[in-house]
Amino acid sequence: MSDTRIIDVGEGAAIPSKSDWGLFNAWTISIIGALAAILYLVIAQPNPYQRLLVYLADGVVITFQVTVMSILCACVIGLITGLGRVSRNKAINLLASTYVEIIRGIPLLVQLFYIYYALGRFLNVHDLTAAIIAMSVCYGAYMGEVFRAGITAIDKGQTEAARSLGFNTKQTMFLVILPQAWRTILPPVGNEFIALLKDTSLVSILAVSDLLRRGREFSSETFLYFETYTMVALIYLVITLILSKGVSIMEARLSHYVRR
Amino acid sequence: MSAASAPIVDIRHVSKSFGSLKALNNVSMSMSLGEKVVIIGPSGSGKSTLLRSINKLETVDSGTIIVDGFDINAPTTNINSLRMELGMVFQSFNLFPHKTVLENLTLAPIKLKGMSKAEADEIALKLLDKVGIKEKAHAYPAQLSGGQQQRVAIARALAMSPKIMLFDEPTSALDPEMIGEVLDVMVTLAKEGMTMAVVTHEMGFAREVADRVVFMDHGAIIEEGTPEHFFVNPEHDRTKLFLSQIL
Repeated sequence: MSDTRIIDVGEGAAIPSKSDWGLFNAWTISIIGALAAILYLVIAQPNPYQRLLVYLADGVVITFQVTVMSILCACVIGLITGLGRVSRNKAINLLASTYVEIIRGIPLLVQLFYIYYALGRFLNVHDLTAAIIAMSVCYGAYMGEVFRAGITAIDKGQTEAARSLGFNTKQTMFLVILPQAWRTILPPVGNEFIALLKDTSLVSILAVSDLLRRGREFSSETFLYFETYTMVALIYLVITLILSKGVSIMEARLSHYVRR
Repeated sequence: MSAASAPIVDIRHVSKSFGSLKALNNVSMSMSLGEKVVIIGPSGSGKSTLLRSINKLETVDSGTIIVDGFDINAPTTNINSLRMELGMVFQSFNLFPHKTVLENLTLAPIKLKGMSKAEADEIALKLLDKVGIKEKAHAYPAQLSGGQQQRVAIARALAMSPKIMLFDEPTSALDPEMIGEVLDVMVTLAKEGMTMAVVTHEMGFAREVADRVVFMDHGAIIEEGTPEHFFVNPEHDRTKLFLSQIL
């Protein structure tokens, strides 16, 4: 069903669609190209590149941690926000809408600085934790909008059918609406995941030693700017491509009940 | 009051507006246990709104609706438990597409009545057998035809063993060749003594099954009576006009 694309609002990398599963699609070419390039550089010029790869490994771990933790937290915040946005309780609705409005009105980088330094100053939170919280708060608002769109996209008849059987609003949401909304939500949520992964590079400006920051440290010691950022870009590309593949596999799994 | 005389559904002076449109204008109607009432009328006459207000899918602006002794708009009434007594079948089936046919039937009994899965499955399979699609128990709704889906929807409503069944234009979204199979199920149900309120354009069904036919137009009940009265010598000009247009 092609209607899964209707609420595709993300700005992340394109998720491979099922139509181009063949060998010569953009995803396969990109991943093989990126891996081959990394392999070639490390073998052909082990002097800077091997050292670089080892040096960047710590950063990859940090980037991975920030991404996974932020995605999990942002999903929880997003679900709560999305439910708040469709709630008939005016106070909850207003609270959720205001949160979304404020977050969407401030650039991510400014939010990162603000939350990071605010947390650091008043709560003395660890650097990595502060970065994860900042990313989650920001992406939670975006995901809230995706969840809201996914929930409202489900036909009103579904709610009516559930309510007429005797389910209350909460049961209707969790037993009938959300399990269906997942399928419509997943592509745009996947886009948010990928966008989030790429935006974690912003935390390098804070004192978090992610992939990009490790690259900056390496290049400022060695002055090998071109070599460093070539490797950094390739690693980001590989991670992003793997994540996007994961999302598309999940998407295929979830669509088992769709009309033939 | 004796059980025989107490109406199971009692609608008194109910009005409902959608913006400036008066969907229901001081409507009163009652149903007794076992009675089959067929509501007919042109589109926009308020017949669906009336039916949907019985299980509070529409909230009326004024008037009272008593179902099985409970005022459905009273704050003390638990509408969710009252709805378990009211099976509803929709024009657009509204099966849960992420559940199999069997799961569609067992979801509410398991979650709302605390039935065991084995017991719910057994009841569900019996009902599916009754509506003639037992072999589709493990299919998903999208794999069924419209007529099959609607029969599943009827079985789903029956799985809660309701006291009353509400049908909101159950055959209007179906291809002509599938209408019969759904009506057959409804006729069987009527013969078993189920209390039914049916909004439909199927006059043959009304004639065969109805104890009482209610004709609505512009949010009001114009005329009601037995099918004999209704189809043979209706009193009102508007009823005559409507019948001449559709028969």
